[in-house]
Amino acid sequence: MSVIDILTRVDAICKKYDKYDVEKQKDLNVAGDDAFARLYAAIEADLESALQKAESASKEKNKASAVALNAEVRRTKARLLEEVPKLQRLAVKKVKGLSGEELAARNDLVLALPDRIQAIPDGSAPAAKQSGGWAASASRTEIKFDSDGRFDDEYFQQTEESSGFRQEFEMRKIKQDQGLDVISEGLDTLKNMASDMNEELDRQVPLMDEIDTKVDKAAADLKNTNVRLKDTVNQLRSSRNFCIDIILLCIILGIAAYLYNVLKK
Amino acid sequence: MASSDPNKLMAKADKLTKLSLTRWSADWKSATQLYEQAAIGYRVAKNHEKAKIAFEKASKGQEMLSSPWDAAKHMESAAALAKEVGNWTEVADFYKRASELYMVCSRPQPASDALAKGARALEDAVPDEAIQLYTEACSILEEDDKEQMAFDLYRAATCVYIKLEKYTDAATFLLRWGLAADKCSATNSQCKAYLSAIIVYLYAHDFKQAEKCYNDCSQIDVFLRNDHGRCASKLLSAYSEGDIEEIKRLGQSSTISNLDHVIIRLARKLPTGEVCALKTEAAEEQEEPLDENDLT
Repeated sequence: MSVIDILTRVDAICKKYDKYDVEKQKDLNVAGDDAFARLYAAIEADLESALQKAESASKEKNKASAVALNAEVRRTKARLLEEVPKLQRLAVKKVKGLSGEELAARNDLVLALPDRIQAIPDGSAPAAKQSGGWAASASRTEIKFDSDGRFDDEYFQQTEESSGFRQEFEMRKIKQDQGLDVISEGLDTLKNMASDMNEELDRQVPLMDEIDTKVDKAAADLKNTNVRLKDTVNQLRSSRNFCIDIILLCIILGIAAYLYNVLKK
Repeated sequence: MASSDPNKLMAKADKLTKLSLTRWSADWKSATQLYEQAAIGYRVAKNHEKAKIAFEKASKGQEMLSSPWDAAKHMESAAALAKEVGNWTEVADFYKRASELYMVCSRPQPASDALAKGARALEDAVPDEAIQLYTEACSILEEDDKEQMAFDLYRAATCVYIKLEKYTDAATFLLRWGLAADKCSATNSQCKAYLSAIIVYLYAHDFKQAEKCYNDCSQIDVFLRNDHGRCASKLLSAYSEGDIEEIKRLGQSSTISNLDHVIIRLARKLPTGEVCALKTEAAEEQEEPLDENDLT
């Protein structure tokens, strides 16, 4: 911590606690009856505080708080600028105990005020930056934005990041739309195919019924035939016939053998 | 060997059937058998003319034996061979005879099938005859309450009409198709048929007819609410406004791409150059009443 830092900090603390400084207050109270002086003093105090805030904003690392401080500074500036005309009116009034020179001096002071107010840095650097289309609304005077119509401010600037994001967002939206189009076409085709299948199935239902009845009939016929066939085959294969067949066969073979023997001799 | 046998069989069979002093009644049974064998032999030998004659005679034999089913089957084979020969009148006659025989058997399905086969055979050669056969086939099925089967026939007939560039006929046929679809509550086919009819009318530059057709079809709830109905109304409004881009876009849309491919071809060609004429016509009609008002 250097000496300079200490000095600055002491100055800041003194300023902060000036209101407890009785002597200073006495000086200030001299101007108690004078409305102009009072107002002027108030404006001066506000100006000081605004300047301080601007300084701290420029030193701030955190962008969000910097932005907030800048906004406050702008608000104060706007308020002060509003009060200036009031002060001007008061400046022209004659107050007892005031010389003509002092009156003129007061006028000059008032005139100098707007410049001083405007001079307070509120983060609107004159460097050329994108304004992102906010400039158009600056022309509307009824609608008051905090920033006084100065939209080329850091707050509204499009950094590379944000413009990149915006572009990506647009691209993704377009891609989504394309995808959805493809899906909708596919669904159309599916719907058409499904209704065609529906109709085809409707067409085939009575055919299937017909097939069903015909096949049932054929199956019944077949069963009948099978049963009859079984009976017939059983009859043929009955054991009595079988034995008779074998005996007759043996007899014939015997006769044949006898004949053969006879003929051979 | 293959050609001599069928010849011999034919000769024998002819002898059996020819009535003469020695033969008082023709022996159709054996004759038919011989005829069938001869016909098969000729077919194998690719002798279409003789095979056709053999099948004809076999069919007649079967008729005599009162088996119309076999007779019809033989007639169909004869007709197929006649197609190979290229004798179109005979093709038509044979198929019609076959269909009649099937109807005698009280089997309308094969009857219409026979007519459909005949129509398909005649599509290229004698398209008018083909259309007649298709129409008959459709009526046979409709009488039998089997409209569902008729859809394919309607489709084929429409294709033939469009090939012949008979657009009004095609559109009328499409409307008939729609009617058949309505009877069997096949709403998808019905709406597709109506949309196709409107497209055909538009293709034929007949905007008034197309509008009338659309008005008629909008009486039917299903069509009005359906995708196809909406597409039709968009098409007609695009036409009346003369918006060629819109027409082209609608022609590419998926609703139209689901129709029959012949219709798709027409739809893609749709803004047939006279759209502006339609617009001015409509504008002229509007101007006339204004003139009358001015005079009074």
